[in-house]
Amino acid sequence: MAQTARPGKLELAPPGLGQRLATAVKVFFRLLGHSKAGFLGFLGVLFFVVLALAGPIIVPDAGRPDMTKIYQPPSLEHPLGTDYEGRDVLKQMLRGGRAIIVVAVLAATLSTLISITFGALAAYAGGWPDSIIMMLTDVVLTIPQFPLLVVLSAFVKLDRPWLLATLIALLSWPTLLRAVRAQVLSLKEREYVEAARALDLGIPRILFGEILPNMASYIVMSFTIGMTAAIYAQVALYFLGLAPLAGENWGIMLNLAWVRGAIFYKDSLMYILAPVLAISLLQLAMVTMSRSLEGVFNPRLRES
Amino acid sequence: MGSLTGADVHATAAGRAVLLLRPWLGDWRVRRVLRALFTIYLVCTLTFFIVRLMPANPIEVFIHQQISEYGIPYDEARNLAAALFSVDLDRPLPLQYLGYLAELARGNLGTSLLSRGTPVLTLIGRFLPWTLFSVGTGLLLSFSLGILLGMVMAYRREGILDHLLTAVGSFFQSVPNYLVAIVIVVFFGVQLGWLPITEMRGAYSPGMQPGLNLAFVKDALYHAALPILTYVLTTIGAWMLLMKSSTLSTLEEDYVTVARARGLRDGRIMRSYVGRNAVLPLFTQMAISAGFVVGGSVVIEKIFVYQGIGFILLDAINRRDYPVMQGIFLIITFAVVAANLLADLLYSRLDPRIRVSGGE
Amino acid sequence: MTAWQRSSTSNGNPAPVLSVRNLEVRYFTRAGTVQAVRDVSFDLRPGESIALIGESGCGKTTLGLALLRLLPKGARIVDGEIRYRRRDGQVIDVLQLDQEEIRRFRWQECAMVFQGALNALNPVLRIWDQMLDTARAHAALSRDEVRERSERLLRMVQLEPERVLNAYPHELSGGMRQRVMIAMSLLLDPQIIIYDEPTTALDILTQRAIIEVLRSLREQLDFSMLFISHDLPLAAELADRVATMYAGKIIEVGDVREIFYNPRHPYTLGLIKAVPPIVGELYDISSIPGTPPNLIEPPPGCSFHPRCPYARERCAREMPPLYEVGALHTSACHYWQEVKLERQVVETGD
Repeated sequence: MAQTARPGKLELAPPGLGQRLATAVKVFFRLLGHSKAGFLGFLGVLFFVVLALAGPIIVPDAGRPDMTKIYQPPSLEHPLGTDYEGRDVLKQMLRGGRAIIVVAVLAATLSTLISITFGALAAYAGGWPDSIIMMLTDVVLTIPQFPLLVVLSAFVKLDRPWLLATLIALLSWPTLLRAVRAQVLSLKEREYVEAARALDLGIPRILFGEILPNMASYIVMSFTIGMTAAIYAQVALYFLGLAPLAGENWGIMLNLAWVRGAIFYKDSLMYILAPVLAISLLQLAMVTMSRSLEGVFNPRLRES
Repeated sequence: MGSLTGADVHATAAGRAVLLLRPWLGDWRVRRVLRALFTIYLVCTLTFFIVRLMPANPIEVFIHQQISEYGIPYDEARNLAAALFSVDLDRPLPLQYLGYLAELARGNLGTSLLSRGTPVLTLIGRFLPWTLFSVGTGLLLSFSLGILLGMVMAYRREGILDHLLTAVGSFFQSVPNYLVAIVIVVFFGVQLGWLPITEMRGAYSPGMQPGLNLAFVKDALYHAALPILTYVLTTIGAWMLLMKSSTLSTLEEDYVTVARARGLRDGRIMRSYVGRNAVLPLFTQMAISAGFVVGGSVVIEKIFVYQGIGFILLDAINRRDYPVMQGIFLIITFAVVAANLLADLLYSRLDPRIRVSGGE
Repeated sequence: MTAWQRSSTSNGNPAPVLSVRNLEVRYFTRAGTVQAVRDVSFDLRPGESIALIGESGCGKTTLGLALLRLLPKGARIVDGEIRYRRRDGQVIDVLQLDQEEIRRFRWQECAMVFQGALNALNPVLRIWDQMLDTARAHAALSRDEVRERSERLLRMVQLEPERVLNAYPHELSGGMRQRVMIAMSLLLDPQIIIYDEPTTALDILTQRAIIEVLRSLREQLDFSMLFISHDLPLAAELADRVATMYAGKIIEVGDVREIFYNPRHPYTLGLIKAVPPIVGELYDISSIPGTPPNLIEPPPGCSFHPRCPYARERCAREMPPLYEVGALHTSACHYWQEVKLERQVVETGD
């Protein structure tokens, strides 16, 4: 914020979108900086995302089956051992993150879009639209999400990423919508919104211009939570064999390791533990990051 | 044209009905129950239409399968399908729908495709109690321990226990619950041999007669121990952290300071002034927690080979036993809706401020 | 011997029920150490009512909390004595009591009714349960005795026992809750009751009701009252003696009439002149210019001197002690002799 040395000169032009985004990013990093854990979480998420996207490029091929090398223990040549078909586990791990993260991002994006649009609308408009949206949300929220996904998987072949992502998003938007609505309700009463209303700027402009940019970190938090829910659902579906076992993502690895008895041999432990570790660490990183952001909105949670 | 005046409302039959019902509708508990019933109705409808309108319509699939694999003539196959799915295929769709609802109301959830002659409801009755038992015990244990630990963490804020429990709780909260189950089986069961995994399979030991005697209960607990452990580990973190934060805000309330000024003993203050007030906001989380654990039980029961409703659901899906799938899904939803309702009603009993005026 | 000690041992005057000497309370914050209560001394005699008057932040609430050792975290009593005389004549030092003893002291010997009783009661318990809680924590009263006492006290504060005892706090209005707290404060028949801003945050009609209640209670029962307020006229209605407090120190004490007709401290004078008259013409109300000092680094000398129209260079150097300015009337001002209230006699027509 530049301070003009000359009194009496006021800058009245509102900041442009680019400037707004830059501020939002700065705020985001400042919030993260408050908490060491949160920052570590962010680094973790970054690491996994880069790994997931770059992995398949670095490792173009998981290798061909080699029956002479079944379930070999970790060695220099195969740092994580081999699987039930003799293929290198490390290579599969590097290639295995992308499918899951891509679907998670798709699902979270869709879910966040739905919940932001309708959540903000419900909070801002109030009255009838709010009641209807909330009623619908409460009903969908009560339906147990994972069992529904499981049942749907029997009817719909989940072989395409966007299909899987859509289904998951359709079930996870209620939680996010509630949270978004609560946040918008609290921001609605702030002065800058009153000012915007006094200037008669119109609902979309107020929502997208004033309220949402101030919720930027909250939106990131909701997005992250959406991703964790999507990863949970995906991996479970693959593990249960309800999503097609084509490819070599971490969920599929879990399924194969379990079904092919990798858990019974000491040598093949990494085949099941590597995906478990990777998924756990990814979830941990995301939850930690989103918790530190949440700490801003609920200061009492912050360990000062 | 003006809006309806009071006289107009009285004039219409609907208006009169609403006026009659108003004292009832005003009670938020009635509204809450109505909402639960509406949710159940919606889910039944959803299930019906999914089964009929999905691209791979299971009824049609079944009929074709009967014709191609077993050479059964079309009409017979159709009748068989109608009986098993408990729908009347001759009537138009809307009437089928109503018929389906009527059958549901009578408790007829159809018959299993693969174990012919077994009504879905019977199947569910055989396996549902085990899931209710393990999930229920897990949730109860998790909640009770969680609120106790949460209060301790709040009273001893920034202490070693606080940091430790926060870290452990958050860790288990973030990791998917079925992965925790996998690690338990793989590590402690298979690799280290600390737990007799194979022995602990199943809901109860073979040869034991179900009955309300101590030996059976102990056996049931033995078999349910690992699922319960998983449920508790993966949900207690949320309770602890919520209770800690709620206790911290309650401790700042005026009535706590006044309670100390009144010379009340610390124990009494902790239980009836802090505890009872701090626990209230947690009930809203109860519903979410229940739904989540029930969802996770589908995977967890498979991992521990615990024959509850989740286990059977997976089995039915793999074998394409649609009536069973549908029935189980409905029952799971009913259970979660009922749990939500119970939590809300319980909350209203505990918080006198909610009782009269309204819920939300 | 200072005026203090003399007044407390004069013949004919009973020994004080509460004796505070050189009390010093500090808040330890990140910004620094705030000296909230500085070298405060006063006596409270049996059956007497003292008003502690001062603006926000002068330390009066802190003083009240300190008497019951209910200071929040970060605050500590760093010096001084609080001596309390029990009904049996035994004198105890409140600051030396252990945890259990202070718990028994609270409410039974000295009760405190806090500012704004809106949230003073546990929302999930009925009033009756909270009365019972209070009684059970102390005296060995039977249920019936508690019942009888509660009903009697509630009637004294103009409430219907049947309705109130069965109710939850949120079912009662703010004024009713305040009166419940007043009744509860008398439940164990304490010798001292501290009222912190008893009428603030209430509408004017309820304020009058509360004042009437307090007045009638004082007539019917025998207890000493210390009430804390920023509202000087309130003192006129309820107090026997008035002490004004500024920047953590007591700067004037005296009989209520003396204080009102013959204030001897510029701050007290300013407070009196700041109250507009109900009848008569509105003369220029002089508010006291300036703001209270920062108590982390209080200025040397008299704390009031930056805002004082009578200040001279001695005031900036030397902290004035409480000079004896009249019968049982003290004032902490070097130039108290010059302080005079010009009274305007108001002629009400007809």
